[in-house]
Amino acid sequence: MKIKKQTLGGPLLETFLYITIFGAALGSRIKELHGIEYIVFVIPGLIMMSFATNAFTNNSSSILQQKFLGAIHDQLSSPASPKELLLAFCLGGFVRGLIVASLTFIVSIVLTNLTVDHALVLIPAIVLVGFFFANLGVLIGVRAEQFDDVAFAQTFVLQPLIFLGGVFYSAALLPQPWQTLTKFDPVFYMISLVRYGFVGFTEVNIPLALGALTVATAALFLFNLRLFSRGYKLRS
Amino acid sequence: MPGNEDKALEIVDLQKRYANGVEALRGVSITIEPGDFFGLLGPNGAGKSTLIHCTTGLAQPTGGSINVFGHDAINDYGKARAAVGLAPQEVNLDQFLTCEETLEFHGGYFGMQKRDRAERTEELLETFSLTAKARERTRALSGGMKRRLILARALMHRPRLLILDEPTAGVDIELRLELWHYVQKINAEGTTILLTTHYLEEADQLCGRIAFIADGEIAAQGTSEDLSRRYDVANLEDAYLALVGRRELSRSHVEGGVAA
Repeated sequence: MKIKKQTLGGPLLETFLYITIFGAALGSRIKELHGIEYIVFVIPGLIMMSFATNAFTNNSSSILQQKFLGAIHDQLSSPASPKELLLAFCLGGFVRGLIVASLTFIVSIVLTNLTVDHALVLIPAIVLVGFFFANLGVLIGVRAEQFDDVAFAQTFVLQPLIFLGGVFYSAALLPQPWQTLTKFDPVFYMISLVRYGFVGFTEVNIPLALGALTVATAALFLFNLRLFSRGYKLRS
Repeated sequence: MPGNEDKALEIVDLQKRYANGVEALRGVSITIEPGDFFGLLGPNGAGKSTLIHCTTGLAQPTGGSINVFGHDAINDYGKARAAVGLAPQEVNLDQFLTCEETLEFHGGYFGMQKRDRAERTEELLETFSLTAKARERTRALSGGMKRRLILARALMHRPRLLILDEPTAGVDIELRLELWHYVQKINAEGTTILLTTHYLEEADQLCGRIAFIADGEIAAQGTSEDLSRRYDVANLEDAYLALVGRRELSRSHVEGGVAA
């Protein structure tokens, strides 16, 4: 958060561009998807994407950078336990993601007809998504030995999973085998949960998806905790 | 293993084998009394930094025990780490933080309350002549200022044991003397100090007791005079040269024309 132009300004501009392109350009031709105004259909995915990528990037890059500088030694030699350190790192990414997602949400309700239909699904879903990607960022940051490792994970794994998870479209519109393959993309379920929370449309079983996301997030946290406790690539 | 509270640092049979098979420490045992100014000398790769990393939680020992003021530094490390301040060999400041934030954050990691952090930060910035740089990012500091900030950070949480890992490496003579004066002052006030250095005159002048470490083992320890007697030489420098097997480099030999 020390470099706000990059951490907040950049993602906000990116989201604004998406809204402009998909709302004004494509939206004027597509009009509606499943009875929902196209731009309103897309925005939940954009909010989830900005939360996920910012939570991930914050943690992966800051942990790797602190490893490079050796600055992480200041934290590792403190009395803080592995669990406290992990929670602190996770919270850092989560808060950055939350700020960007909240700003995106505010811009969206001003510029579009976005509403919140199911807050009781949206809130746990968005919290779990943020915590999951914050943990994923920690995992990649801890494992990474060079910036290329972080860039690879972001460009070749995270980005495709998010884009192919249905941010900009409905999986039902895809031809086979893409429609079936989309269902193997975990991000598809996350986007579906957040979209349901906002606009009430879903292509997945909501309780099942929420349960699976809870289990996946808890499992990732426990895995990271094990790495922190062992000092994997952190302590020699 | 519960340790002796009367000892500032008690290391018993410490072993460290890295994943690549290198045995960095082979059963090191040292005891530092409260209030001591203890020097740990040895050539590069002897195990000095590994010993410090094991003590501060940056490396996981493969055997032995470490107690800091009676607190187990390996398995029940909370109180042990809270009692230790580390000024590492490398400049490891976060370049995105200001001097003020560097100290504030460190205090936070060690559980200091906000008000105490603010007061201590102000006090240390003043002590180390960094007040004018308080709001500047650490990357804008000169090498000497970074060294001072690292020492200030190590002292932020008022540690009872201060570990200085080659604190004067690469600093100018003025700053070196300044740091000497400061660490002597805090030692006189009761802080126990463990110093590693390659400057033998520094160790000779500052340290009451010294240990030589070589190949991961303590070769000898005692006062500067004890070590000179042990190697049957005139001073600490010659004792060190005897330790590393380079007696021919002794200044007395060179001056007498033997080595030449």
